[in-house]
Order: sequence, then structure tokens, then C-alpha cells
Amino acid sequence: MPIKIIAFGRLKDITGNGDILLDDAADTNQLLQQLNKKFPALTATPFIVAVDKEIITGNTDLSGADTVALLPPYSGG
Amino acid sequence: MKEGKLKNIFLTGAIQPEFVAASIKKHNSMKGIGGHSIFLGQVRNDLIGNQQVKAIEYTSYEEMALEKMYEIRESIFAKYDLTCMHVYHSLGKVMAGEISLFVFTSSAHRKAAIDACEETVEKIKSELPVWGKEIFEDESYQWKENK
Repeated sequence: MPIKIIAFGRLKDITGNGDILLDDAADTNQLLQQLNKKFPALTATPFIVAVDKEIITGNTDLSGADTVALLPPYSGG
Repeated sequence: MKEGKLKNIFLTGAIQPEFVAASIKKHNSMKGIGGHSIFLGQVRNDLIGNQQVKAIEYTSYEEMALEKMYEIRESIFAKYDLTCMHVYHSLGKVMAGEISLFVFTSSAHRKAAIDACEETVEKIKSELPVWGKEIFEDESYQWKENK
């Protein structure tokens, strides 16, 4: 089951509007490597990662049911 | 887990002054309240280079934002002696001069209401997954950065 990746804010300018699906990522490090390859501009843009709405602080195991969100610095209000 | 208790804070477009007034009025019946504190965030027509911001278009990771807002609300109620708190944030396009954030805290005494309001606004700015796209007069844009 592919992992669903959703991007927000300025990252959408890089990844496009639709969700991204990636097949073979056992953990977030692998996932980010694949994403950086697919979207090289991501490496120049700061963001944090949330797995199922929880912000992660280190490499995190992934399963097919997970949704990974790429969150650039917030600018609400 | 807490989905049942999650309160929606998002409104489409600008927050109307009449909505704020109606919200104040709803508290008339709560006679133990001695002070309200209200913060209204307004879209500013910043001049960036030679381009003026005419609107901000807000987007959010809504499910995560509502869970985060629940946590913020819990932490504020744990810290301050509040009677109630209401938060509304715009999504979509809000023109310069219009309101995009409305935070409303009420308490028996002013200090708790004022301090809770300020802390809630700061937490919203730093912890809620919301993004603003600043749209210029010629429809070009840049992504807003919170200071």
C-alpha cells in the first residue's frame, strides 16, 4: 500500500497540487530521500514532517496506512 | 480519540465585524463574566519592493490544525481561570483591511482574560498549521512569513 504525502504552503509550488504517492519507503528518511530526488527544489526549502498529524523529530518507521505531511514554517493569523 | 470534541475554528473568507458583535452579545446572559479580551488580526497592505499586498489567501492542514487548537485550548484553560474562549480563523482570500483572526476570551476578572488572549494568539501564530499567501495588485504572490 503506497504512502500518501501531502504538501502545504510554498511546498505546493514545488510538488504540485495533488497528493504524492510513494511505494517503497520503510521510514521517513527513505521517504525524504525519494522526495528530494523527485523534487530537487525541496532541499532548498525548510519544512518539518508530520506522520499522521504528529510532528516527528527523528527518523520514523512508516506503514502503508500513514499520511506524511510536509509543513513549511507556519504563517497564519 | 478527541474528534468528537474538536471544534471547527475555520471560516471561509473575512471575519465580519457583525459576527464579532454577535459573538459579544451572546455573552450577555453569562453574568459571572467581568472582562472580555478580544484580538482581531487584520490583513495589512505591506509594501514589498514596489508591490503592495492586496489580499492574503489562507490554507491549512485542517485536521491537524483542529487537533492542535484543541491542545492549545486545553493548555490555556489549565493555566488561566477562564469562563470561555472562542477562536475563528479565515481560510481562503481575505482582502487588506479585513479581519482574518478573531480570538475572544472571557473571565470573571480582566487579567486572566487579557493574558489568556495574548498567549492564545501567540500559540496560534507559532503552532497552528496555517499558511498565508500574500497576493499583490498584479496577482503575483509571495508566501507570508510570521515574525
